[in-house]
Amino acid sequence: MGWWLMFEGFPILSLVILAPLVGSIATFMLGRYERYAKWMALGASAVAFILSLAVTLAFVTDPVGSDTHNGYQFYESHVWIETLGINYIVGLDGISLPLFVLTTLLCMLSVVFSWDTDRRPKAYFGLMLMLEVGVLGVFVSLDYFMFYVFWEVVLIPMYFMIGVWGGPNKDYAAIKFFIYTHVASLAMLISIMALYFEAGLGTFSMEAIAGESVGFATGVQVAIFAAMLFGFGVKLPMVPFHTWLPDAHVEAPTAGSVLLAGLLLKMGGYGLIRVAIPSLPDGASEMSLVMAAIAVVSIVYGAVLCLAQNDLKKMVAYSSISHMGFVLLGYATLSELGLVAGVFQMFAHGLVTAVLFMMCGVVQHKCGTRLIPKLGGLAQKMPIAAAMMTIGFLASLGLPGLVGFPAEFSVFYATFDEWGLWVLLPLASVAITAGYYLWALQRSMFGTTTTDIDTSHLRDVDWYEAFPVAVLIALIAVFGVFPGLIFSRITPAVEMILGVMGGG
Amino acid sequence: MSVWNVVETIAPQLLLLGFALALPALDYLFKDKRILAVAALIPMVVYAGMVLCWTLLGVWDPPVSSIPLLELDFFSGLFTLAFLAVGIIVVLSSPEYIRNERNHGEYYALILLALIGMTVVASSTDLIALFVGLEIAGIASFALSGFAKSDKRSSEAATKYFIVGGFSSAITLFGISLLYGASGTTSLSAMGPMLETAFGSYEGLHSVTTLATVMLLAGLGFKVAAVPFHMWAPDVYEGAPTPVSGLLAAASKKMGFAALFKIFLLGIIVTKTDWAVAVGILAIVTMTVGNLIAVSQTSIKRMLAYSSIAQAGYLLIVLPVGTQYALAGGIFHVLTHAFMKSGAFMVVVALGVRAVGETLDDFKGLNRRSPFLAFSMAIFLLSLAGIPPLAGFASKFVLFSSAVYGSMGADGTPWLLWLAVAGVLNSALSLYYYARVIKHMYMDKGPEERIRPTPMVSMAIVFAVVMTFALGLYFDAVIDLCMQAAGQAFPGLPAGDLIG
Repeated sequence: MGWWLMFEGFPILSLVILAPLVGSIATFMLGRYERYAKWMALGASAVAFILSLAVTLAFVTDPVGSDTHNGYQFYESHVWIETLGINYIVGLDGISLPLFVLTTLLCMLSVVFSWDTDRRPKAYFGLMLMLEVGVLGVFVSLDYFMFYVFWEVVLIPMYFMIGVWGGPNKDYAAIKFFIYTHVASLAMLISIMALYFEAGLGTFSMEAIAGESVGFATGVQVAIFAAMLFGFGVKLPMVPFHTWLPDAHVEAPTAGSVLLAGLLLKMGGYGLIRVAIPSLPDGASEMSLVMAAIAVVSIVYGAVLCLAQNDLKKMVAYSSISHMGFVLLGYATLSELGLVAGVFQMFAHGLVTAVLFMMCGVVQHKCGTRLIPKLGGLAQKMPIAAAMMTIGFLASLGLPGLVGFPAEFSVFYATFDEWGLWVLLPLASVAITAGYYLWALQRSMFGTTTTDIDTSHLRDVDWYEAFPVAVLIALIAVFGVFPGLIFSRITPAVEMILGVMGGG
Repeated sequence: MSVWNVVETIAPQLLLLGFALALPALDYLFKDKRILAVAALIPMVVYAGMVLCWTLLGVWDPPVSSIPLLELDFFSGLFTLAFLAVGIIVVLSSPEYIRNERNHGEYYALILLALIGMTVVASSTDLIALFVGLEIAGIASFALSGFAKSDKRSSEAATKYFIVGGFSSAITLFGISLLYGASGTTSLSAMGPMLETAFGSYEGLHSVTTLATVMLLAGLGFKVAAVPFHMWAPDVYEGAPTPVSGLLAAASKKMGFAALFKIFLLGIIVTKTDWAVAVGILAIVTMTVGNLIAVSQTSIKRMLAYSSIAQAGYLLIVLPVGTQYALAGGIFHVLTHAFMKSGAFMVVVALGVRAVGETLDDFKGLNRRSPFLAFSMAIFLLSLAGIPPLAGFASKFVLFSSAVYGSMGADGTPWLLWLAVAGVLNSALSLYYYARVIKHMYMDKGPEERIRPTPMVSMAIVFAVVMTFALGLYFDAVIDLCMQAAGQAFPGLPAGDLIG
């Protein structure tokens, strides 16, 4: 029994999705009053955020023994397309909760960060809210069909955000993003169909299908799992399917990058642990080494690529490949700690990478360039920005006391538990990571002041840029010191999954 | 067979015919030609209302036909709805587009006549009725595509369409006569058992039915523009007046599918093992070639033509899978395609009325000139590409999943999976050229002056947009009807789904 009974029978999750949806439509229809677009977007995303905070407070940390729906809280189920067995089912557990709140938080902060957007603001903020609808939907869906619908809904706003508000090479980046990730979704679609028919239940409910699919023949499981790994892995992204990501990031506007790296990549990692691993345990354990190998390659290769980058934003983009590799590595162990660590790493990366992309945006905004060789000594002109960027970089390279550390540490621990000293391979990347971050920091923020750009009029961060970053940094510190706040919620959910899988 | 029953059965067609005959006369009475369009809408709306009352609402039952040639069932009902919806959209968009031509009355009359032919095909239970329907619709469409007499391309389109259409009718008829020779009947439902009896006594008959199958596939392949019988389609769609192109792409083509479904899944389903692989290959080739060529088009009408060739490829999946579920997906896709494809053509019509050209470059910056048209076009194109939650996704989902199901299980046919894979990959490929149009509309700079679409075209487009959303968001009632239609009209097919 708990607080969540407050929401018993109350469609709180649907309401959280509805807020940005209504906000999005309203923003598009503002007509001549487009100067209110940002206020509308802020209002809608704030409503969603406050409601999601209420959800977090009401969430029962350890649902064992409480009357939740198989561990899913705030559960809603309605018939949608009866003939095909498609239902509207939503629910939250400890795996989706952190990502759910992360989504509402990052969307709200992105709206604030984009406060000075004056180019087609109605469409810009409307699309941002539509994106939020899609991502929230993915994180709460418990029906394959609606999961896929929300999954695809995310693509269109992101395509437009890159294509309309993007950088010089936006056309190429936008269409590459759209098609690359769409192909991956279609692989996932085929595997969803295969799951549906192989289970033979006539329903798209994830829970019902998982109950059947754990018993599939190993060959079938491996085939479907491989298709899903591709489908989710492109989003993650895992090497060698990562090439869309740097292009998309470099061209996307800052808020677009924040949402792309902070949320869209998480959809891939979330799909793996919500769908692929628990539904197809034999397939997962057969593919475990493959996942581990891909993960290690992504971690190390991503880090090495970072060393070679001259563009600050591109470096951060490649660092995402490396850091999302940790998620996959955690999953590959298929142990309780590894799965929990993977989910935690997603949450941590979401907070940290948002800071990094926002700071890249600040640098671009103030200096007009993000090329590291052209920067230098910015700390003297913009001390607050330099401090914020430093904290972001330190969090990202895994400094103890900040949120990145417990995440990466537990992934390494789980890897060591499973494969012993092989852990040294991904561990080596930590040194590289520290190397590229500190090197970049030294060249751009410290040292002699650059002469390549006019630094006489450089201003420090504006309030609408500082505020979101400050909030994120506070959270990075809080969860770095008290990672248990998140761990304690993820662990019971992962235990539930492992229970379904038969002890993992 | 009482005369009254015959009249009762074909009453809707008689209604259409009556208006078709009256319209040329009305042409002399009214100066405002839009009245003619409204007059042409009346029988279509009445007919559509009747079908809706019967299929969706269940408040009325159509007469049970005592003619052995026609039967009114859900299959014909749903196809009729698709035809009428396209007809209504096309007629609404026409008045301004053809305002500089003469003989408006004949134009609407021909549309009504084409619809008569299509509805006859959809409700036929006999090869003779089916062929007559094909011809009625065909001849009306030839004349329609040449309607812009002052435009050379229109005349060229009509000539080309007439020659190819006549040729394909001849081949179809040849196939029909071979089937009659082999089975001794022209009734579609009786053909299967009679063919089996005939095969029992003479095994060599298979060569005759195979030849007939090839003829029918080629003849009807021309009608649905399946590769390699597709060459005429882009030229005709480009040359014909744009509303007529919409009618051809969204309705005429679907009539070809009604015929294909009836013949292949009812008449000669007993020989399925002879033709399944060939049709499967035809499906994959059609969708791939259609999409690949669409990528390089610079004319929007040609691009839409190749896109509808690709869509024909998706629909051909139904035949080799050959289950009721696949057929339900096929009928559903016919319905959704009717709205999204005719909607896309009507956006081109709306631009044409305002003297905007038909190349891709003319779409540059459309969002600034008319947000309504740009948004509608984007919705139609995304739906054609199969992006949820739009109608095109829902129907493709059912269609492709039927192929996945057909490939699974002990008695499944594994190669059917490749149909789904090909369909899915092609959807991704098609996204490339659809997204390019969207990019032109929203991201590129173009002329600045505003475009105000005329009210009637706007109504047609709004109707199509609403349906594209509605059929994607809530299609329970429709897919249920499609399943019932497939079960009713094709009881011999395996179910192929998980729903009891």
